[in-house]
Amino acid sequence: MRGKILNIEPLSLLTGALAALVGWSLLAGSLPRPWPAALALALGLALALGGHSHGSAVQIDRLAHASRWADMNAALKTLGCCGLLVLTLCCRTPWPPLGVFVYTAALCMAGGAGVRRYLGLMALPAAFVLLSAAALLWRWAPAPGGLADLPLAGGWLVLDAASQALARLVLARALGALGCLYLLSLSTPLPELLAVLRQAHAPALLLDLAVLIYRYIFLMLDTAARMRVAAASRLGYEGAGRSLRTTGLVYANLLGRSFARARACQQAMESRGWEGQIRFLTRRHPVRAGHIALFAAPAAALLAALALGG
Amino acid sequence: MQELLRFEDVSYAYEPGRDALRGLTLSVAAGERVAVLGSNGAGKSTFFLLAGGVLTPAAGQIVFEGEPVRRPTDLSRLRRGVGLVFQDPDVQLLAGTVEEEVSFGPMNLRLPESEVARRVADALTAFELTEYRRRAPQYLSGGEKKRVTLADVLAMQPRLLLLDEPAASLDPAHARQLEGHLARLHRQGLALVVATHDVDFAWRWAGRVLLFQGGRLAADGAPETIFADRALLAGCGLEQPVLFRAGRALGLDPLPRTVEQLEQAVGKERNTP
Repeated sequence: MRGKILNIEPLSLLTGALAALVGWSLLAGSLPRPWPAALALALGLALALGGHSHGSAVQIDRLAHASRWADMNAALKTLGCCGLLVLTLCCRTPWPPLGVFVYTAALCMAGGAGVRRYLGLMALPAAFVLLSAAALLWRWAPAPGGLADLPLAGGWLVLDAASQALARLVLARALGALGCLYLLSLSTPLPELLAVLRQAHAPALLLDLAVLIYRYIFLMLDTAARMRVAAASRLGYEGAGRSLRTTGLVYANLLGRSFARARACQQAMESRGWEGQIRFLTRRHPVRAGHIALFAAPAAALLAALALGG
Repeated sequence: MQELLRFEDVSYAYEPGRDALRGLTLSVAAGERVAVLGSNGAGKSTFFLLAGGVLTPAAGQIVFEGEPVRRPTDLSRLRRGVGLVFQDPDVQLLAGTVEEEVSFGPMNLRLPESEVARRVADALTAFELTEYRRRAPQYLSGGEKKRVTLADVLAMQPRLLLLDEPAASLDPAHARQLEGHLARLHRQGLALVVATHDVDFAWRWAGRVLLFQGGRLAADGAPETIFADRALLAGCGLEQPVLFRAGRALGLDPLPRTVEQLEQAVGKERNTP
């Protein structure tokens, strides 16, 4: 197919190259010679071949519904993940946050996420995280003198030990925080999360909007997919120019249909007695000691690490 | 029979000067089975939205259970008593799981939570949805979604049920299943009003037919009378039901409503020399 090299998508290729650069920059000087380059190459290839996942909103939702942890009390999960997240951000060395990442990723796998899908979903924020890491690692200086130097525009791009240490910490914290958020979103269907927010007295209007947005994401994706298939069957995507034009038409149509549908949906809600507030009877999941331990144990470990200067 | 719903000279327009419904007068009694026929844009859906308390008449009045519907409190009385099942399930489905979805109506009735839970469980059982109760509506098939929308409305325990083309986009097996559910609801004493394009279904199922044309009620009567009027049907772009024509051609009386009745009638005639 055009636009793909060896069936790798351009975005994945970019992420992979970026990962290799950042990986090498993080390790240069701390490991003997061939290792930084070898490890960086392995990381880059893994990300490039792993690819980013399409339709990630739908995928996250499916995984959340199917997760082994879907039955866990949602308030406990929310509190636990947020607590771990805050502790992760307080860490002053990279190892504890990396531990949090590994732990939360392992919990996701135990919940049934699957390594490949998990990495695929990670590839999405990875591009942002890696870009910021690259910016932290390399700085422009008038003279060389770091662990590695590249000539640029009359000066030098310099990688030194201090920025390396900073980038390692920031990257580790970012990974740990991502791990916490992914654990929450891959194990908790959104309706349950909204029920928790309702319990916490979040503004009703905001939650009603979230309910509607959540529901209509799927309807819009479905409608858009159908329109795309219909357009493709009439050769609407032959060539770049026509693809762009067709995409524009599809989105313009989607807007019109959304308005019509919004009116119909409101009528359906009114016919079922809706008078301004969306309320459901939500199933309650009891808090279990084993589930508390899943969050209490890593939190205790993090607190200990913090006390020891981590 | 006790009268449930009465329209008295009701008109409605979505845009000024273009009436979607004009001078509609009719009444529906408890336990009736009514088929509503008419081409697209004939006013069927507007009739349903008015009867379901979603729209309010521009002229004329609606009477529900003997009391005219005037104030907003009357409107909510109408919405409680009349259940409306929309043609497209995706318009109606709202919640993240099937059981939450079904609880939406009863919660709006401000019932105690134990009562809501009981009604949800009953509605799910009635439509064989218990095993789907934790599933998200977006991952259900068309037939399953249709059943959820029926359970949605039945959990509110209405006395009159309006279904807008319920069999549209259902495969034959699910359409048969739907007819089974309709038969059960009828036995439970619910009045059923079904908008449809399927004259064969109307002939098989309905005790009364309403024929809409250009925003007016063109005819209201027994299926035998309405389907005998070819000119009227042709004016609405409809044809006579197959079994009706077959029965007429064979000179049967009464006319067969189902294939089984036809077979029985023909078999009897063959047996008598």
